[in-house]
Amino acid sequence: MNVIETVGLGKRYRSIWALRDCTLAVPAGHVVALVGPNGAGKTTLLHCAVGLSTVTTGSVTVLGDLEAGSLDALERVAFVAQDAPLHRYLSVRAMLGVARNLNRRFDEEQAERRLRTLDIRPDTKVGKLSGGQQAQLALTLALARHPDLLVLDEPVARLDPLARYDFMAFVVTAVAEDGLSVLFSSHVISELERVADYLILLTHGQVQMAGGIDDLLAGHAMLSGPAEESGAVTERFPVVQSRSAGRHAQLLVRTNGRSAPPAGWESEDVSLEELVLAYLREPSASTRPGPLNLMGHYATEVML
Amino acid sequence: MTVLAPVFVLPQAHEHPVPWRPMARATWLQHRGGLIGVLALVSACALAIVLERFTAPSYARSLGIGSVNNDSFTFLVYAIQLFPVVIGVFVGAPLISRELESGAFRFTWTQGVGRTHFVVTTLVLLGGFTVASACLLGALLGWYTHSFEVVDVQSQWQSGLFNATPLTLPAWVLFALVLGTFLGALIGRTVAAMAATAVGGGGLIVASNLDLVHRLLAIAPLVTSRIPPMSMAIGTLNLTSYAGGGLSGSWLVRGWVTGTGGRELNGLAASNVMDHVQSAVARGVTDPTRWLSLHHEAFWVSYQPASRFWIFQGAEGGVLIVLAALLGLATVWCVCRRA
Repeated sequence: MNVIETVGLGKRYRSIWALRDCTLAVPAGHVVALVGPNGAGKTTLLHCAVGLSTVTTGSVTVLGDLEAGSLDALERVAFVAQDAPLHRYLSVRAMLGVARNLNRRFDEEQAERRLRTLDIRPDTKVGKLSGGQQAQLALTLALARHPDLLVLDEPVARLDPLARYDFMAFVVTAVAEDGLSVLFSSHVISELERVADYLILLTHGQVQMAGGIDDLLAGHAMLSGPAEESGAVTERFPVVQSRSAGRHAQLLVRTNGRSAPPAGWESEDVSLEELVLAYLREPSASTRPGPLNLMGHYATEVML
Repeated sequence: MTVLAPVFVLPQAHEHPVPWRPMARATWLQHRGGLIGVLALVSACALAIVLERFTAPSYARSLGIGSVNNDSFTFLVYAIQLFPVVIGVFVGAPLISRELESGAFRFTWTQGVGRTHFVVTTLVLLGGFTVASACLLGALLGWYTHSFEVVDVQSQWQSGLFNATPLTLPAWVLFALVLGTFLGALIGRTVAAMAATAVGGGGLIVASNLDLVHRLLAIAPLVTSRIPPMSMAIGTLNLTSYAGGGLSGSWLVRGWVTGTGGRELNGLAASNVMDHVQSAVARGVTDPTRWLSLHHEAFWVSYQPASRFWIFQGAEGGVLIVLAALLGLATVWCVCRRA
């Protein structure tokens, strides 16, 4: 089952396309990181997935074949928006009451237990909580719904390192305990490697790269060698990014399963940060899984 | 010792989204500040009406033993007429605009209840509460103003009172509430939506008092009768006892005098006739109608009978409820289109 599947998804705000021809299939059971530069369409994609935005073209389904934003989908998908916007004039207890009464699935005991652990007092006004506490409260309310898919829009953007760590640890614990899938957008690439096992890179409203992080890292290599022999590499591997300093060249390539570099070249593993930055610097390069084929496997597509 | 943690049981799929009772609790939690404010306002108005009814000179005047306190009457009628505007501005306008402005809609509209169900249920619950409050206020005001009507100081047909009965006041409140909600959903800014609601809703109530009610009353054909002449009968009147017992409670639109051949006399001639009638009555004439007939003259009035009062009330209330329903649909459309 795919937790999110988009086919030819497009979203236009007046004359500007935030997303265009975005096709994507994310299998269940992953913690998916959605990354991309500012204005890439990350928030728009997440809003389409939770039904906050209507699509202009194409379609979005979640958790199999549920229409995004339908009542069946809303019941099983929880969303924590950027800056965790809650009713700031309500107390934490009232906020808990609102969430409990707006959902059929809501585990109040779990939420209260979690808030006690976080030392968030029920009588405190939501607006009086720190940014980190508000984010934790929003996450607590979302997880108390026992969602099958948790969608987080830049959840740690305004948190300090400690709050960021606690927040993501809570997410990872919930994944381990409940087996839910998570899709979160983030600018903090160092966070991705620690918690995510699947990556979607969005650029200019289109999916530039998508796949399991281990597969993506295994499928790329950093080759170093003489600059004048770069042709031997480019004939053999699709090059994502090349850099040269004098007579020395460094090429980030997609190996496509072939690990042996040409003679005279050295191969090194690529870190996730290097990979993401390379693709961000080369928006024309892309690699992404297509729709599921008849055998239930993803057909990997490489375009340069 | 083994401790068993409570197990959370997931509800069955495809049940009714969220029943109305939890929705009512959520609405109360979200809007209890506003609802308590409305309750306080209604209580204050109700107390003022009751106190005025029993202590003010108006009550004594209704019993024929004192003078009428028209200042208190006017103040109370105006205050009650502001009630729909207050509801529209302070309850309706912030309902959605505050969510949009603070971004909290991204929380509310992604809960299991769904945004359409949430907006409709919230509107219905708040509408029910404010309409019930308005019914109470309208009934209390009617009880208070009845003492003025029985002595012909005021009439229930007058636009100020016509728009504040137990039927029309709730309709105005519902209309203002939904108008505010719609403008809030459309504009997305709380203060701007409140201002637009105050101008739109308040303006419509003023226009209704000054003009629209009179246009409404002119829709149905007027009844014309020949009645005993009265000194105040030239022009638009609403004072019932001058028109005789048979027309008590009617809305007198126009009075005129006809002369020889049945032609209508102009203002000056009619005024002369009325002077002659008064002189004749002073000389001992007991039947001024017959006296006029002998002089080939007659006094006529056209009016809406008292029996039509609640029909007109229903018509105005119906129009407002239909407008509120249309605005409600537009609000849902607006909320669903917000993306």
